[in-house]
Parts: sequence; C-alpha cells; structure tokens
Amino acid sequence: MQSGEGTSLRIVHHPRGRRLIVLMPLWLAGCDGPQSWLAPAGRGADTVAGLFWVVVPAAAVIWTVVIGLAVYAGAITPRPHSEKGASRLILWGGIVAPTATIFALMVVSLFLLRDVTGNSADLTLNARGEQWWWRLAYEDPQGRLVPVPNELRLPVGHEAEILLTANRVIHSFWAPTLGGKIDMIPGRENRMTLTPTTPGVYRGQCAEFCGEAHAQMAFPVVVMQPDAFDDWLAGQAQPARAPATEAARRGAELFLSEGCGACHTVRGTPASGEVGPDLTHVGSRLTIGAGVLETSREALIDWIAAPEVVKPGARMPGYAMLSEAELGYLADYLMGLE
Amino acid sequence: MTKIDERARDAELSHTPPGEEPPKRLLEEGSVWIMIAAPCIWALHFLLSYWAAAVWCAKLADRYDPILPVRAGVAVLTLVALAVVAWLARYAVRRYQGRLLIQEDLTEHSEAERTRFLGHATLLLCALSAAAIIFDSMPILVFDSCY
Amino acid sequence: MTDAEANRADRPSPQDDPELRTAQEERLKAVWKEPTGWRYFSAVNNDIVGKWYTLGAFFFFAFAGVLALLMRTQLMFPDNDFLSMELYNQAFTMHGTMMMFLFAVPVFEAVSIMLLPELLGNRDLPFPRLSAFGFWCFIIGGVFVTGSIFFGAAPTGGWFMYPPLSSEPQQMGIGADIWLLGLSFIEIASIAAAVELIVGVLKSRPPGMRLNLMPLYCWYVLVVAGMILFAFPPLIAGDLLLEMERAFDWPFFDPERGGDPILWQHLFWIFGHPEVYIVFLPSIAIVATIVPTFARVPMVGHSWVVLSAVGTAFISFGLWVHHMFTTGLPNISLAFFSAASEAVAIPTGVQIFAFIATLLVGRVTYSVPMLYATGALAIFVAGGLTGVMVAMVPFDFQAHDSYFVVAHLHYTLIGGVLFPLLGGIIYWYPFMTDKLLSDRLGKWAFWLMFGGFNIAFLPMHLTGALGMPRRVWTYAEGLGWDELNMISTLGAYFIGAGFAVFAWDVLRPKGKQPYAPRNVWNAGTMEFSQLVPAEHWGARCVPVITTRYPLWQQEGFLKDLDEGRFYLNDAEEGKRETMVTSVLDADPMQVLRVPGPSYKPMGAAVFVGLLFILGTFGLYAAAVICGAVGGVVILWWLWTGTSPIPEKEMKHAGRGVHLPLYRAGSDSVGWWAMFITMIGDLTAFFGLVFAFFFFWTIHPDFPPPGADIPEFWLACLGIVLAGLAWLTVWRGQARHHSGSVRAARFGLPAASLLAAGAVAAFIESARRGGLVPTSHAFDATCWIIVLWLGLHFAAGVVMLLYCLAGSFTGKMTPRYDADFANVLLYWHFMLVTACITFALLGLFPLLTGDGP
Repeated sequence: MQSGEGTSLRIVHHPRGRRLIVLMPLWLAGCDGPQSWLAPAGRGADTVAGLFWVVVPAAAVIWTVVIGLAVYAGAITPRPHSEKGASRLILWGGIVAPTATIFALMVVSLFLLRDVTGNSADLTLNARGEQWWWRLAYEDPQGRLVPVPNELRLPVGHEAEILLTANRVIHSFWAPTLGGKIDMIPGRENRMTLTPTTPGVYRGQCAEFCGEAHAQMAFPVVVMQPDAFDDWLAGQAQPARAPATEAARRGAELFLSEGCGACHTVRGTPASGEVGPDLTHVGSRLTIGAGVLETSREALIDWIAAPEVVKPGARMPGYAMLSEAELGYLADYLMGLE
Repeated sequence: MTKIDERARDAELSHTPPGEEPPKRLLEEGSVWIMIAAPCIWALHFLLSYWAAAVWCAKLADRYDPILPVRAGVAVLTLVALAVVAWLARYAVRRYQGRLLIQEDLTEHSEAERTRFLGHATLLLCALSAAAIIFDSMPILVFDSCY
Repeated sequence: MTDAEANRADRPSPQDDPELRTAQEERLKAVWKEPTGWRYFSAVNNDIVGKWYTLGAFFFFAFAGVLALLMRTQLMFPDNDFLSMELYNQAFTMHGTMMMFLFAVPVFEAVSIMLLPELLGNRDLPFPRLSAFGFWCFIIGGVFVTGSIFFGAAPTGGWFMYPPLSSEPQQMGIGADIWLLGLSFIEIASIAAAVELIVGVLKSRPPGMRLNLMPLYCWYVLVVAGMILFAFPPLIAGDLLLEMERAFDWPFFDPERGGDPILWQHLFWIFGHPEVYIVFLPSIAIVATIVPTFARVPMVGHSWVVLSAVGTAFISFGLWVHHMFTTGLPNISLAFFSAASEAVAIPTGVQIFAFIATLLVGRVTYSVPMLYATGALAIFVAGGLTGVMVAMVPFDFQAHDSYFVVAHLHYTLIGGVLFPLLGGIIYWYPFMTDKLLSDRLGKWAFWLMFGGFNIAFLPMHLTGALGMPRRVWTYAEGLGWDELNMISTLGAYFIGAGFAVFAWDVLRPKGKQPYAPRNVWNAGTMEFSQLVPAEHWGARCVPVITTRYPLWQQEGFLKDLDEGRFYLNDAEEGKRETMVTSVLDADPMQVLRVPGPSYKPMGAAVFVGLLFILGTFGLYAAAVICGAVGGVVILWWLWTGTSPIPEKEMKHAGRGVHLPLYRAGSDSVGWWAMFITMIGDLTAFFGLVFAFFFFWTIHPDFPPPGADIPEFWLACLGIVLAGLAWLTVWRGQARHHSGSVRAARFGLPAASLLAAGAVAAFIESARRGGLVPTSHAFDATCWIIVLWLGLHFAAGVVMLLYCLAGSFTGKMTPRYDADFANVLLYWHFMLVTACITFALLGLFPLLTGDGP
C-alpha cells in the first residue's frame, strides 16, 4: 500500500466536516463509521450531512409541537375551545405554516440538487456492476483504461467523474462518506461525480437489490493525496510482477493449470479471462471477494477453497479439491501480485 | 340566485321525480365534475411539464445544453394553468356560492346547500391546485440545463 | 334541523301496529338469512363476506409479520446464519408483497365492504356477488402466492420485482411467475372491489344523504376506490409485459433488443406511489370517524378533510419518480417530482390539524380507540416529516435504499395504516360481533406495540445514516450497525408480542360475555344504529337522512328506524332489495333486487384462479380451458343473477313513494359498474401506450431504422371494420330500444362478424408487416397492443352473443334492455381502443417517416 493510511477497514479515524463539529453534540459521536453519511469526507456527502443537521432538529421541533397539541387537545384540556380558535389553528398550523416551510425547503433542495453534481472532473472512471462485484477501470493520463476491480481510490480535492453501467441486472453505486448513490443500469450509462475532501479509508456498498449476494457486494474507498494517487495508478497500469518465491511460482503454474485464467486476467501472463475480476494487482488491494474479506493469505485460501461459504451466491466455483498446500501456493502467488 | 332559492324551497318538500333530472352540462350547477376540475388542471400541467422536459432532454439536448424553450414553455403553461384555475375559482364563487371558510357549516338538507358545499370544496381544491402548480413550476427557475 | 320527511313519521301510519312490524321483521329475517351448514360458504351478504375478507387480510398480515420477525432475528447479530441467504431474500420479498397486496389494500376493501351498507343505512352493496367473487379471488391468489414459500419457490426479487433480475429466467425461477400471475389475479379482484365500492358510495346512499351530508368515511372510500381504478391498471399492464418477456421472450426490458429496465420502474411506481396513499387514506378515514365520536362534536372543517382526501389522491399520482431519484434521470425531471412530493404534504397537514381542532372544540372522552388514534398520529407525523426529507433529491441520494427509508416507510405505514386500523377494529368490534373487546388487553397491546415499534424503528434512521443498505441478509461487524440492529430486533419482538395480545383479544371465545349496549360509543354515524344482536338485513328500513350525524342530530331517528317508518320496511315478495338513489342528492331512483347466496362467485374465482395458477407452470392449454370454464361460470352467474325482469314495473318503497324495479342505461347500477370498470381497463391500455411512447422517447429513432412496420392498408381496414362494428352496435341498440327486436337479432351477429374481421385485419397487418415479437421492443409493443385489442374484442363479441341469446330467450326485450345498453357502453370504449391502436400501428410510422 503506497498511501499508508488506514491499516484496517473497520477502524477509521478522520476529521469531521467543520459544520458538523459546530452542530453535533457529543452523544452523536455515534454517527461515525466507514459507511456513514453523517461523517462526510466528500463534497456531496457534506452537503447532505449539513442538510440533515438542519432538517432533523427542525423536524423534531415540529413533531413535538404537533403531538403536544394533539395530546393537549385530546387528553389534557378540560374545557371545549371555541370553533373560531380551532379554525384559526387549522388555518395557521395546518395550512400556512406547513406550506411556507415546505416551499422554502423545496426551493433550497432544488438549488442543492443543481449543484451536487459537478462538471469539472479531471479524472474519469468507468464502473460496471457485475454479479456481485465492481468492474472499475480508470482512464490514465495516457488515455488507457486501467482495470482496478472492487476498489475505489480517489485523489483528495479532485473531482472525479464516474460513468456507471451494469451487466445483466441493476446495481447502485454508493460510497456514502463521499456522496449519494446512482444506479447502474444495463443498457444505460449514468454519471456521477465525487469530490473527496478528507483522506482516509472508507467503505462503499451496492444499494440496489441485485440478486443473491447483494448483501456482500461492497468495496473499500480510499481517499489519497494526489501524488500518492498518481503513483498508485501508474503502478496499477503495470503488468503483473513475476512470482518471487518458489511457492508463488508453483501457485502461478497452478493458476494456469487449474483454469483460473479462463475467468481472470493477470496481465503479462496467458491468463486473460474476462468473466471475473482482473487479478493483476490483487495482492495490493485491501479486500477480496468485493469487500468481503480483508486481503491476507488465509483469506485467499478460504475464498479459493469455498467462495460459496464466504459469500453465498458467489459465481466463482470452489476449489476445495485442491490440497491445503496447493491452496497455499495459489494464495502466495496472488499475495505477491502487488 | 333566485333560481337556487326556489330550488332550496322545493327540495324540502319533494324529491325530484325519478329519472327526470335534466341533463347537466359539465360545470353547470349541480355537477360533481367541477370538484375535480382544478386538480385535473394541476395533473395536466404536471404531466406536460415533465413530458416536455423528459423528451427535450432525451432527444434534443446534451447534458449541459441550455433548455430555454422548455423553461419558456413551462412558464407559459404555468400562467395558463393558473389563469384557468382562477377562472374556475371565480366560477365556484359565482355559480356555486363557494366561500373560503374554515369552519363551514354547510349541513342544511337542501339542494342549494349541497351546491354551496360543492362550491366550497371546489374553491379549496382550486387553492390547493394553484399552490401545487406553483410548486411544480419552481424547477424551471432553478435549472437552466437538464442536469 | 326541520325536515318535512322526518315529521311525516309522526303521522298515524300502518307501522304503528306492532304485529305488522313483527311480521315484516320475520319476512326480512327470512330473506336475509345467513345460509347454514356447508352452504355458509355460498353467502354473499356484505357482513359475512366482509368478515371473511377482514380475517383473511389479517391472516396474511400475521404471516408477513412472522416473516419480519424471522428477518429481524437474522439481523440481530452481524454475520448471523439463522436464515440462509436464499430464505432471507424470499422472506423480505414476501413480507413486502404480502403487506402491500394481501393486507393493506384488501383490508381496506374488506372493512369497507363490511361497513359501507350499514354506514349508509342500506341493505347491501349493489353487487353482493361481485364482493364474494373478489374475496374468493383474493383468498385463492393469496394462498397460492404465500404457499410458495413452503416449497422454497417464493419470489426473491423484492416486492418491486425489478427486471432484468426478474425478467431473466436464469436469474429468477418460478417465483417471479408466481408473483406476476398470482398478484395480477389479486389485482383484478381489487379492481372488482373498487368498482363495487364506487358504485356503492355513489348510488346506494340513503334517501336525502346529499353530498354535503355524506360521512367522511364514504368520501375516503370513494377517493381511494377511484385511486385503485387508476393506479392498479398500469401495474397490470407492467405485469403483462414482464410475464410476456419471461414466458415468451418478448424483449420489453432487454436493452440489447431495444427494451429498457426503466420502463418497468415507471409502470410499477405509477402504481406504487399512489398505492401508499391507497393504503393510508382509508386508515385516516377511520381516524376521521373515531375522532368526532369521542370528541362528541362533528368534524371541524369537514369539507377541508374532503379537500385533503381529494387533493392527496390527485397529487399522489405525481410522485412516482421519487422512487427513482437515483436512476440517473435528468435533474430537472427529478425536480418536478421532488416539488410534487413536497406539495403532497400540504393536504396531509390539513387533515391532521382538522383532527386536532376537532378534539379542541369537543369534550373528549378518552377511550382505547382514541389511544390508538393518538399513537397513530405520533408515529405517522414522524414518518411524514422524514418523508419531507427524502423528497429532497440530494437527501434521497443518500437515504434511498438505506435503512433510513426502511424506518421512514414503516413510520408512515404503521402509523398511517396499522394503528388506525387496529383502533378501528376495537371501535367497530361491537358492530361486527355485538361484543366489546377488553380495555385492559387493548391498552397492553397498544403499549407493547407502540413502545416496541419505536424501539425497533427509531434507531433504524441512524442505522441508515450509518450506511446500512436495505434488503441485505447479513452485514459485517464493526460498521457501527451492530448494537442498533440488536435494539431493532428486540423492539420487533415487542411488536410481535403486542399484536399477539391484540389477536388473542379479538379471537378469544366470548360466549359468556354480555352483549355490548346498542351504540356503545354514542357515535353519530348510522352503522351504530344496528340492533344488538345484529340482524343480517343491514338496516331494518332504509332511512331518510337530513344531517351529517343522524344518530346525534335527527330526533327520534332510532325509534323511526326500529319501527320501520322509513323506506323498504318489508320483503313482501321474498326478495332481497336495496335502495338505489341519485349521485348528487340521493333522490330515490330504484328498488334494486340483489341476488342471494350462490356458489357461482366461488366457482368463477376457482376457475379464473386456475387460469393464472396453471399459467404460472406453463400449462397453457389447461390454463386456457380453465379460463374458458371460468368465463362460462361468470356468464351463468350474470345470466341468472343480473337484471332479472321483475314481475311488476313499480314497487311501493314506503312513505308513498313508488319506484321502478328495473332500470337500464345510465340510470342502472350495472351501467355505472361497466363505465367504471372500463375506465380502469382503458387506463391499463394507456399503460401499454405509455410503453410505446417511452420507447420512442429513449431511442433516437422509434420505430428503429429499417424496422418492419405493420402493413398500413390492413391497419386501415382494421379500423374501418372496428368502426363499423361499433356503429352497428350503437345503431342496433338505439333501434332495439325503440322497439325493433330485429335490430338486435341482425345487428348483434353482424357486429360480431365485423369485430372478428377487424381483429383479423390488425393481426394480419402486424404479421404481413413482418413483425416478430421476440426481435425488438418495437415489434413486441405492436404485438402486445394487437393482442390486447384482440382479447378485448373477443370479450366484446361474447357480450354481443350474450345479448343475442337474451333476445331469443326473452331475457332481453326492448323494454328490459339493460344488458344491451351496458354492452354498447363497452363498445364505446372499444372504439377508443381501436382508434388508438390504429394511430400507433398505422399512423405513427408515417409520422416518423417509416410509412409506406
């Protein structure tokens, strides 16, 4: 890992947006989380979190007033009130006040909507929803597509444009700490922009039910310094490293002989399958199985042996017939693909 | 006016003989259609606005092209819709004796009172429809392109 | 309130004689007797069918609730394995599907069918057998769809069933077919009930109940049934398209052949959003009935509540895209829907404040139903406020499909549907069963459910804000969701416990418990005028109404009612009779003879159900045969049950008013039912037309360049023949009505032949044009429109032949020609359908430059 931040996906520390600090009482520290839209690390998420801390307290006040009135009218007041007063209540409380409030909110939200998607991106990224993983590819400065499945890395302070589509079924691309979601729809190309503001490691997840393994279709989100990002992308564009140890070399042979290459690509080797994720730099990625397991030798062994157990519904066949040693070689090989 | 008063008196005494109600015009006194006329105008305004924008954005405009014709069209449509709703409201007041009250007491058992009730309800729906039309015209003030 | 009618009851009248009254009552009891033994299931009377219907709906509610508890148990811990992924996906799909299609909508229809005649002081709804048919369809379809989960075959696509996940047979097995066909069947039953309720409110009000005096509950029934009429048909059209794609590979949703998955989302949500209000408004109607009763004053701002109901109904049809904010539609399109979604909150606010104002003005007697109403308000208002939030598009970009929305929708539905409904059950329980429910158990149930609900769902807002998406069967630990989910699950158990207490209270044997006093709540509306124990006759006699709350405001009302001093106080001819009145002022128009117990509705439902069920398994031949048998049973039912020729023209309805026993044309309830049904039918057709224009919008060229297009001249022939068929029916009906029996005997077969020719011409036009439905969405859309036209013309021909048979057997004569008038109305709609078909198939390709 070039950037060095975020040793674990599960424990994330990062500063909150300034507005939040002002408005957020202590007990709301529970709003933190790698997938929380109340702990924004991007422009779109910041807008919504700001809106949240305006409308939620306002709603709480309105609720208290309305229900207070209802309880007073129904259970507390001892004497009937005049019809005139009641009419006035309907007029002001039921008509004028809500209409004015709602109108104002609506107009504000329209302006926010207009401004929430940017049009000055300096980084383009193609994202295609698969069952059940993310086929992401960056356009590098040379205009080539660099496949980086199941991991979203973005440079801080830069607007990135993501072009979204899907294979076979609808998915929805959602990195809540950075911004809202947009659906990935077969036959359509949607567009979203994300502008990260705070470096850190977060998490994203599919938000539209897409079949069996929908619950386990996630991805790590890494916001990096621009220089580190450029280095990383250049690294990802390289072909695969040759196996460095004997075990890894055996793993590479097994990879080909077991037919892994029919589904997976390892650039620079004969493996060029297009069905599953590109594994050229799988060892450098934070997770495997689309955000399901943190990358490690043991995790790879578990996954290869029985993906169906780790992630019910996963399309990859299990290789439980391989010996423990063979699974270990494969894992060594893949861990070496950094 | 006098016609309605006469009817009110008659209504107390007898029911209209079965099957001999004269055919009524769409918005004439004693038509239930007048109640839904205003929301129908809202619905038309809404659908036309949405449809115009959707077709324009799908077929004619690129992402950030200005969509002046749509905005102008919806603006005109909004004014027309509001004018028609205003006319309806006036109709409800004049022909149905609709009044904008909160605590209506239109509970008399007479045809005239039923007419006033319809007028009252129509007037309220005109107000609501006008508000909804204004709500639905806001997007054209905010957006100058499809996205 | 001075009223000539009411005073008339004080004059000496034959009803002063108690022996006469007893004899009348005996005759009425005999006529309205509940069938006994096995024949009990042939009952069609609204109070019995309504009870079955309500129990059925609550059965499905409990079932779906158990599924929810299973899901909550699975989500109690991260990485839990209580349920398998497969079972969880089936469970959440079935939970949503059942709650919406098998509980929320049916229970409205059930309660309304049960309540409406008594609320209107009438005997029964105009089409009792239609109610029974609707119930049997509901129960057969419901058991079929629900039962699938025991065979592991339940659908897994969510209650919204988005294609392509649902359209590719490789992605989803038979579950999707069960969902599509089983629910289409239930939707048809829902529309049948809606027709019944609309005609019921418009035409079977008691004399004098002018529109300004109509109870609020009736306004809501009218509005909601009207919404069903416009909301369900687009879904039926969508179901048709999706099932055609699944079964026959017609590519409506396949982007590779010109289809688009988004089309389904439009059709589904054009149904789906009004649906939310379809289930919400009836419960508000219950609150609007309960509040004045316990405030002891009429509703303050009565017409404002009417305004809210009507306004909400309309605006709710302009919100559907707010379920599609994240589909990448242009922002300006989203903006229109966002604006409407905010505007819909205005009428809702008015209703709530009208209720509060009524409580302020009145002297409130607090009671268990009021407790439920207040709890409902507390929950619903919170749901409404979060609704305003998710209507803001940027907010929804985050909240959409997260647990925030799960919390929001349960706040609106449990607050806006369930709690008022349970309050209503407690309120009307004495009306339904003559006994009261226990106050103590009612309060226990309330606090368990209310507390449990908030424990379960309040934290879910935060769970969603922490990024937990919906419809996940499992989640990883350490994302901040663990404790919140644990709390939610515990809360869910409390809801379950509360409902169990409630159900026990409702179902526990009450043999020894004394009867509730008559009008136990001192309500002002007429359903509580019912005797205790209740009779099946609906009302002792059909009263004259001069006020909004007759039991409060009409002096001596109950006495006059009990002594049969109003209309229809006898059953001299031994027939079931109800009163039909005019729409605006409820002037008496007709004494309608309604049919008694019969197995035919059940039989029709069984066979029509088999059409759908066998179709699910691809047994098309058997399905079609069953469908045909079902059609025959329906014809038999109509033949023996509708518009019988009466033994005399006029009948003395009481109080010196003589009314006809037979009416035809727009004066008859059958005509209204046909009109309303066809409005719904035309709406479904517009769903298909929408699909056509949707494809035109998204494709640069539609028809696509080089596409095969229907033969223009054959399409012209088709429209000419269809026009002639219509003309023949129209003129034939007019001439027949003025006395020419021959006009019917020649006109009906001639029109049938012309109609058959028209269908043949349209089919040939598409076939010779080279349209292959599996090749492209254009071809498929043209074919589905032709198919629709063909099936409708075929039904139209059956109707023509039915009339012809009637003419030969003497069931239909120029004097008694209601059937012919109704069929003519059907053909008016067929003319519209044919013109649109011609415009799309014949003219549209000309406009786009693809013509001959």
